[in-house]
Amino acid sequence: MLETDRIQLHKLVEEALPELDMMIGWTESCDPLQTTPVFIRDAKLISKLTLGPFCSQNLAGYLVKPPALESVPKDAKPIGICVKGCDSRSLVALIQEKFISRDRVRIFGIPCRGTIDWRKVAQRVGLSDVKSATVEDDFLVIDASGTTHRIGLEDVLARKCLGCRYPNPIIQDVLVGQVATPRSSSLETTYRDVDALDNKPIEERLAFWQSELDRCIRCYACRNACPLCVCQDKCIAETREPRWLTQRVGLPEKFLFHFIHAMHLAGRCTGCGECERVCPMDIPVTLIKEKLNKIMEEMLGYSAGLDPDGVPPLLTFNPGETEI
Amino acid sequence: MAVKIFIATDRLDSVLEKLSTKIDLWIPALLKDDKSGPTGFVPYEPGKAVAFDRQTTMSLKKVLLPQVETLLRFEYRKEPEGAINSTLAVEDRREARPTLVFGARPCDVRALTTLDRVFSNGPYVDPYYTERRKNTLFATLVCRQTDAKCFCSSVGGGPADMEGSHLRIVRTDDGYIVEALTKEAQSLLDNLGDAPDASREKQAAEIVEEVSRRRVGDLDTEGSAEAFRKRFEQTDYWVQMVSQCLSCGVCTYVCPTCYCFSITDEAENLKGERLRSWDSCMFYHYTLEASGHNPRPTKLERYRNRVGHKFSYIPERYEGLLGCCGCGRCIRSCPVSIDIRQVVGHLKENTNE
Ligand code: SF4
Ligand code: SF4
Ligand code: SF4
Ligand code: SF4
Repeated sequence: MLETDRIQLHKLVEEALPELDMMIGWTESCDPLQTTPVFIRDAKLISKLTLGPFCSQNLAGYLVKPPALESVPKDAKPIGICVKGCDSRSLVALIQEKFISRDRVRIFGIPCRGTIDWRKVAQRVGLSDVKSATVEDDFLVIDASGTTHRIGLEDVLARKCLGCRYPNPIIQDVLVGQVATPRSSSLETTYRDVDALDNKPIEERLAFWQSELDRCIRCYACRNACPLCVCQDKCIAETREPRWLTQRVGLPEKFLFHFIHAMHLAGRCTGCGECERVCPMDIPVTLIKEKLNKIMEEMLGYSAGLDPDGVPPLLTFNPGETEI
Repeated sequence: MAVKIFIATDRLDSVLEKLSTKIDLWIPALLKDDKSGPTGFVPYEPGKAVAFDRQTTMSLKKVLLPQVETLLRFEYRKEPEGAINSTLAVEDRREARPTLVFGARPCDVRALTTLDRVFSNGPYVDPYYTERRKNTLFATLVCRQTDAKCFCSSVGGGPADMEGSHLRIVRTDDGYIVEALTKEAQSLLDNLGDAPDASREKQAAEIVEEVSRRRVGDLDTEGSAEAFRKRFEQTDYWVQMVSQCLSCGVCTYVCPTCYCFSITDEAENLKGERLRSWDSCMFYHYTLEASGHNPRPTKLERYRNRVGHKFSYIPERYEGLLGCCGCGRCIRSCPVSIDIRQVVGHLKENTNE
């Protein structure tokens, strides 16, 4: 099935490429468990495009972070981009906030059956040499250090995928493959990890975040990978004039940085999980934003990235607000 | 004096505990309660399990070059007469205690040769680094956990390379054989265990012999310095190689040979500290000038610098020494799977195209 989808994708991109400035998609990398983003202008490279559960990166951020679009003139042809369900929500949010206009992008929507978290694979087969990884039906088949492992796909999916309500793109110009069934249809499933933590006594919660955030090295990968962290080089966590945060690496600085990140994403975060995926120290930083997302849904009935014409609650002012 | 001892697997912790009474001890350990989770070097505490099964996520550079350190403390003191006059008191006390890193890997120790050239071997000697360096010994594992991202043999090292190490650790079936390679390391082994018996000694010798023969990685760095110069202005090359880069600090922070730092004065009222902290050439502010101009405005120029520094500027400046020890950490931890071997490897292909 994956192979059919891949062939369909290649065909669609081939047809579209002459009308595109470039195509952003995924291709295989040196790591069998992860793809790498690829930017295609040359038709010869189209065959390198891939899709499927190893395509974990959210590509939407490349549209707004330099030097991607900046160098492309405003009247240039549109940019083609592959999006999974969650990635499409980032696109919607960027369109809402007018960072990109809808007609500048040609969206190749990819219904998604979940992406693989390499860390969960490592927990099962160790971090020894993974030579190859393929998906056969509902199994991940791994050849590592001369042994073949068959692991149920559900066991190694990314945390966000287990609570995914929107595996099918919210917007697209073309759809590649068959429509997928959502894994979750309720707030309880989607926010089960938030609830589990919330049910613990406050001391335990504090201890949890202290021990998790203590590992943070302030590499800012979480911020840079976030498609909606658009301040990027101007982020107040790093500005030198004025200097809001010290260079120290104590817990208070780490907390502060993460709260800045989370607060700037309030009502904007679409839960794509990139911040957590990219963290070299395996800190569940998306969880902080999930908590805010849950509050948004419960208090304001708002979920980011679902309606290109919608206005995020913190970007609007309603004097007659009844919900708060 | 013992020169070689055997430590049974289940005695490792008690031996480390004893060792920690003789010297400040650092070990590789899990940073999270997950056996496949992130690892790094931490000061030894009784009961803390060593993570010997794989290379650590974070390198050991922080033992010698902490992520943040206080270079000096300062205080403005107002004269009682006339509030306008004040004197400045500066204190730059520093202390380097004898330290042992137990369970280093050959790549990490080799990386220090790059740091030494910059911090210790003139023309400017950094006393903070240099004093710590002089006081630190390394007990290094003969490395048998090579993975597909390692390429130490391509850049002058190798999985059994003991250059710069003071003790060698060989992991055998039922324990560890630790051998002092330098005079100063010998006394550390006193009263820690008995000499290995003949069969274990034989096994260890075979392991060393076998691992020494391994060639890890097949990157050819010959001529990369010149190739890099030719590529410098070929924007297309960098667009093609690193457009997916996020310009984050992961690769530089996990890298044992990346040493760039920033210095900031952080004061409150009249008192403060001058801090040195890790910086990264992948960050925007790294080259931001006071005028507001930034000569490396995007990730393309920044990543190009990272490659150029390691494979062109350092070798040209320091007689061929490379700024990379082939540990593969930047490849393993990059969130978008950028492979520095590919970027360096392709430098030489059709440079004229
Ligand atoms: S969150 Fe949903 S759409 Fe996104 S990768 Fe997971 S399953 Fe796919
Ligand atoms: S990616 Fe992880 S380690 Fe890096 S700044 Fe974010 S939370 Fe900290
Ligand atoms: S190469 Fe990878 S780790 Fe390094 S800055 Fe770019 S994205 Fe981050
Ligand atoms: S550049 Fe990469 S492979 Fe080389 S020493 Fe640094 S982290 Fe290791």
